[in-house]
Amino acid sequence: MATSARTAAPPAARKVPQHRPGSKLRRHNTIVGWSFILPNFLGFGLLTLVPIVVLFYMSFTNWNAFGTADWVGFANYERLLTDGSFRISFLNTLYYTVLHIPLTIVASLGLALLLNNKLRGVAFFRTAAFFPYITSIVAIAVVWNLLFSPDSGPINEVLRAIGITEPPGWLTSPEWAMPAVVIVGTWRDMGYYMVLFLAGLQTVPRELHEAARMDGAGVWQRFVNVTLPCLRPTMFFVTVMLTINSLKIFDLILVMTGGGPGQSTSVISQFIYRRGFEENQFGFASSAAVALFFLCIAVTVVQFLWNKKRSV
Amino acid sequence: MKRTFAAAAGIAATAAIVLAGCSGGTESTDPDGPITLTLSGWSLDTTPEFQALADAFTEQNPDVTVELVGYDPVEYNTLLTADLAARSGPDIITQKEVKFVSTFQEGGQLLDVSDVELPDGIGGASSYEIDGASYAVPYRQDSWVLFYNKDLFDAAGVEQPDGSWTWDDYEEAAAALTTDASKGAYQHTWQSVVQGFANAQTGADILDGDYEHFAPYYERVQAMEEAGSEVAFNTATANQLTYQGEFGTQKAAMLPMGTWYVATLIAQQASGEANDFEWGIAPIPQEDASTAGLENEPVTFGDPTGFGINAGIDENKVEAAKAFLEFAASEEAAQVLAGIGITPALLNEAVVETYFSVDGAPGDDLSKFAFAEHETLPENPTSSRTAAIQGILADMHTAILSGSSSVDDAIAEAQDRVASEVGTD
Amino acid sequence: MSELLDRNITQRTLRKLDDPKPRRTSRERSARYRAGRAIGYIAMIVFAAALLTPFFWMIMSSLKSANEVFSVPVQWLPETFVWSNYVEIWSRSDIITWIRNTLLVSTVVTLLQVLTGSFAAYGFAKMRFRGRDVLFLLYIGTIAVPWQSYMIPQFILLTEAGLSNSLVAIMLLQAFGAFGVFLMKQYYETIPEELSEAARIDGLSEYSIWRKIMLPLSVPALASLALLTFVNTWNDYLGPLIYLRNPDLWTLQLGLRSFVSNLYDTNYALLFAGLTISIVPIAIIFMLGQRYFVEGIATSGLKG
Repeated sequence: MATSARTAAPPAARKVPQHRPGSKLRRHNTIVGWSFILPNFLGFGLLTLVPIVVLFYMSFTNWNAFGTADWVGFANYERLLTDGSFRISFLNTLYYTVLHIPLTIVASLGLALLLNNKLRGVAFFRTAAFFPYITSIVAIAVVWNLLFSPDSGPINEVLRAIGITEPPGWLTSPEWAMPAVVIVGTWRDMGYYMVLFLAGLQTVPRELHEAARMDGAGVWQRFVNVTLPCLRPTMFFVTVMLTINSLKIFDLILVMTGGGPGQSTSVISQFIYRRGFEENQFGFASSAAVALFFLCIAVTVVQFLWNKKRSV
Repeated sequence: MKRTFAAAAGIAATAAIVLAGCSGGTESTDPDGPITLTLSGWSLDTTPEFQALADAFTEQNPDVTVELVGYDPVEYNTLLTADLAARSGPDIITQKEVKFVSTFQEGGQLLDVSDVELPDGIGGASSYEIDGASYAVPYRQDSWVLFYNKDLFDAAGVEQPDGSWTWDDYEEAAAALTTDASKGAYQHTWQSVVQGFANAQTGADILDGDYEHFAPYYERVQAMEEAGSEVAFNTATANQLTYQGEFGTQKAAMLPMGTWYVATLIAQQASGEANDFEWGIAPIPQEDASTAGLENEPVTFGDPTGFGINAGIDENKVEAAKAFLEFAASEEAAQVLAGIGITPALLNEAVVETYFSVDGAPGDDLSKFAFAEHETLPENPTSSRTAAIQGILADMHTAILSGSSSVDDAIAEAQDRVASEVGTD
Repeated sequence: MSELLDRNITQRTLRKLDDPKPRRTSRERSARYRAGRAIGYIAMIVFAAALLTPFFWMIMSSLKSANEVFSVPVQWLPETFVWSNYVEIWSRSDIITWIRNTLLVSTVVTLLQVLTGSFAAYGFAKMRFRGRDVLFLLYIGTIAVPWQSYMIPQFILLTEAGLSNSLVAIMLLQAFGAFGVFLMKQYYETIPEELSEAARIDGLSEYSIWRKIMLPLSVPALASLALLTFVNTWNDYLGPLIYLRNPDLWTLQLGLRSFVSNLYDTNYALLFAGLTISIVPIAIIFMLGQRYFVEGIATSGLKG
């Protein structure tokens, strides 16, 4: 059945044209290509790349933000490997990321599909979905803390009502604090990624849907065989951004738990901030930032290759 | 087409340059003219102490102007670090937190100010001494006392504090004061509220990596939460309770807090943000009877706030800057500060008199005693390891009070972490 | 070339003509459809209410007195409505200046980000040259570095350039992020190469292709990029905090924070009043701009 939908490859898959061989043309291409990138690259290189190169250098020193920085070789990295707090923060960050990515993708894509129409009032719902992202994070923390309250919170009331006699302590329990933060994180971010998915959904050709429907494909089949393949570039973008942003999670942790109870929700960004701005060990903090950078790059490269393989 | 893009880019660039017109300019110094000193402060609109000191100093030294540079109060250290790193810091660096003093000093940011003369009896000066030299001068020193609501004591028929209390008396009174409408006490969620007293009253040093002395203090807090005589830590954090709200609207009869709250409470009662009730301050309860009572000096804790001089200051400004430091520590400055409700580092009878002459201040003798008489130990020892250790102890604090770890386990973990991550010399 | 676009538009009109709706003639079906729609709306309204709860709490708290905001149990409604927080912010603070600065910064940043981002994205998506992928990975990689960790080197750099304590610093900081480049590149890749190829045969330069084909076809992506950039710049606190010392240059977020807090306490009622004021413009812009997210332009009219 839905063969016509399946064979209709998404437009994204088309290959960039192979220009005729010739070094002159290649040089022309390089010049034109760079001319596109240059305006952005000037600002980017000067304002972001240069400081980051400095950061890499500082991770090999004992810099304390002032005065001179002495070269200490790999000492910071060695210390990082044996530092118990770093290990805990690292694992907590991974934990958050692994839970947060799939939940947010499902929630935001679901929202985007639901709100990708021209029904009356849809503008209001789209705005409402975006509101958690722009509401003060302090207000978010207070209201969610109330919902998560172990004894009197509505969430645990519901859990008790359905027969769970010992509902979790959420933010007061080391086991449940992180899942609670993930829930709030997903709730807050889904409107943001919904916006990106909404834009992506406009690239799905309607003809393909029509054709698939003619072939008798159901809603789910059309989603899997038409929408998802056409959405791949957007999906790649969202996944990469979501991964990086999850690995960098900071402000939400700070207002929800401050890393506690104990160290049960402390994350890498917080580790970097504490070592840097609270303890002025900027060299050591830089090495943790570099570690985070390579973690992100590794994950991104995997996603990059995976995306390439899928789209060929 | 190329032209169109060039035009668009041009517009953007021009826009940026035109907008640059609204950026701040840089000042230049004239070596022969009158001297202008810059001084870092925070929340200048609501924190009058810097302007008051600057004005009083300029009155005495008309050729020196003190210009305030405002910083964010919460991110003060971050911003100052950035400015100092970029060599654009102020001439006089206000030392907001003692735990950063040694970092600034080790980074070569502070001038040696050992030759600035300090009046006898000034508190907190030792916090700025590193290897026998002084790097800042204290002008303000809050210390922790017990605020109590006299109306609630009377209503519950509990005898008001008399200055002889130990923590057992405090716990007992809290239980007796607790009603349906209000708790006996409110202990704010900060680690200082438990650890500060434990350190000061048992004579412990957090740098040595041994934290057994915290156990009885945490057990007492747990017992009080259990008894319902104070709001549970989890409730206080979940609802982001403020101590001003809890004590100011009579939800708690007692509040251990720093003396800075005196001025806030007076102001809030005047504006109606806090209820109208009779209150006073008493010495903080003691570990045992040996330091309690009006004939003894109660032991409490508190860190000074002080002024240091930027090591990169202009040569011709050093003299004036040191004169300002000397002034800030003097009795004259103490009078100015006391007049606006700030606790000066230098306390004597006249200063205390000024402090309590403010409208709305408590008038009883115990309040004056609590304010003036105490042995105030530093909360943060002056060391480059202090910040890291306090961070670990903060984790221990939330682990214990959230109930996610037993007191002994959490203390053992903190000891392990300090040993492995920070080191204990 | 224009012929090509015309064809798309014709196709769109055609598609509108044979809209599937008229096919649903059975009354039963339409009743069920309507009932389903009603249930759908109710579910959406409940959902929207859940999403707006913290915002509601914030507005209510902005009408309380300072000591009333946080309490046990949580108070949803103020005991008495205190309007003075709004009056105080409006009359005692420099909110007009803050709003002007914020508006200026957000607008310039959004323009620069959209312009340079979408331009660079064309180079990454449609041009083929050596080092392209590595350079792109570098772009993405820098997103991964937390800003706090290179904030100080960057601050030193801009201070040396004489740009600290100026709005230009904030603009430069935000305008050239990798986010916009990445977003636009991914979108361009969904636009069929045949369109560009046909244009090349028509003799258009790469720059013209970007402007005449890519830009008009990527309205949803441009709209979401512009909106997200605007919102992020509008709400940014840390950037202005680090760079702006002069109160005349403060942005809304920075001004508010400093207006409501001092050393030991923050007046949250006042803060929430200010934040409510600051959210209104974003919400309006979002409301007005959101229809461009779904501004579909058929790109599939041409089959390879």
